[in-house]
Amino acid sequence: MTNLEKYTKAFVDAFDVPPSELPTLAYQAIPSWDSVGHMGLMAVLEEAFGITLEIDDVIDFSSFAKGQELLKKYSVEL
Amino acid sequence: MIAYTRANTRAWSMLGSSGAFGVAAMELPELDSNVAILTADLAFFSGLDRFKAKYPERLFNLGIAEQNMLGVAAGMAKEGLKVFATTYATFASARCCDQVRVNMGHMHADIKLVGLAAGLSVGILGATHISIEDVAIMRAIPNITIVCPADCTATVKATVAAARHKGPVYLRLSGVQNNPTVYQGDFEFTIGKAIRLREGGDIAIIATGTMVHAALEAATLLAERRIACAVIDMHTIKPLDEAAVKETLGAKLLVTIEEHSVKGGLGGAVSECLAGLRQKPPQLVLGMADSFNRPADYPYLLEKNGLTPRQLAESIRASYEEVK
Repeated sequence: MTNLEKYTKAFVDAFDVPPSELPTLAYQAIPSWDSVGHMGLMAVLEEAFGITLEIDDVIDFSSFAKGQELLKKYSVEL
Repeated sequence: MIAYTRANTRAWSMLGSSGAFGVAAMELPELDSNVAILTADLAFFSGLDRFKAKYPERLFNLGIAEQNMLGVAAGMAKEGLKVFATTYATFASARCCDQVRVNMGHMHADIKLVGLAAGLSVGILGATHISIEDVAIMRAIPNITIVCPADCTATVKATVAAARHKGPVYLRLSGVQNNPTVYQGDFEFTIGKAIRLREGGDIAIIATGTMVHAALEAATLLAERRIACAVIDMHTIKPLDEAAVKETLGAKLLVTIEEHSVKGGLGGAVSECLAGLRQKPPQLVLGMADSFNRPADYPYLLEKNGLTPRQLAESIRASYEEVK
């Protein structure tokens, strides 16, 4: 599985949304991406990529696209 | 059904104890169809947004009127409902002392009172919100069970255990978001039964709440100096697991650590437990100083009260040098 596939799967599993909607998906745009869903997503991403996210990045992780940018900092290329 | 997976444990840690309570709250109607939750204007801070969306008929915001909330909770409990009520720990205890004493203590109203942000975690709000004496107040009231979970996984466990427990409970939640993790997955949690987390023959450390993780780190630092510490998670402060306390009598030094005043909390409970014994190790009581704190952030206040792992290790080492 490529990193992008892992990243996409994390969102689909966490929020039960089709992959086609992910590129424009943002925090709190859907009911399941609330604060609880957000931390669940962060934990799954940490596990998938073997990283520990800094708290500032957890807060800045405001959309599918923003997350792709933030993960570069952890050497995760998508 | 709550899954105690590694990822969930991490997510709950990032949410903090209030968020973890909210996660557990989602399960409560499955455990008891009569569950209701009251809050004194802290639905979001109690992690109850999802609960509110799914069970709007079970959540009641009583506004910033904590004493009234306890009266309403008692009435609902007397009608047979299983009631949780949430507010800041300092308001749950000091402000609502008489309502807790009469309704929960004397009348045995089956209320699970959730004290949020206990200790220093909302230190930036100052002395009105920093909860230094809530355990002391609750301990003095008959019939109140006091539970203080060590981390967010334990918070989920303790919430479920409180729901199953018959009788009034004070659930003391402490720490901030990204709370350190003690329990990585599922574990046995029984109200009144302490958990021995580390073995060591020189010193026995009995800790509660956030200080359990700090105690484990302090024990690791002391091990580097060849001082072996046992660490016990005393998640239930009342009724105290006296058998677990008495298992520490062989240690050269007994240490209690809590994010609470050194007066009247876990340290006092352990002292009272051992007071009648002829032979016992000296006890070092570590916690917040018997004074009010100025407004400041959580890490600063922990350090000011000597509650960082390194400070704890140094205090324990110095005391151990005197008694060994």
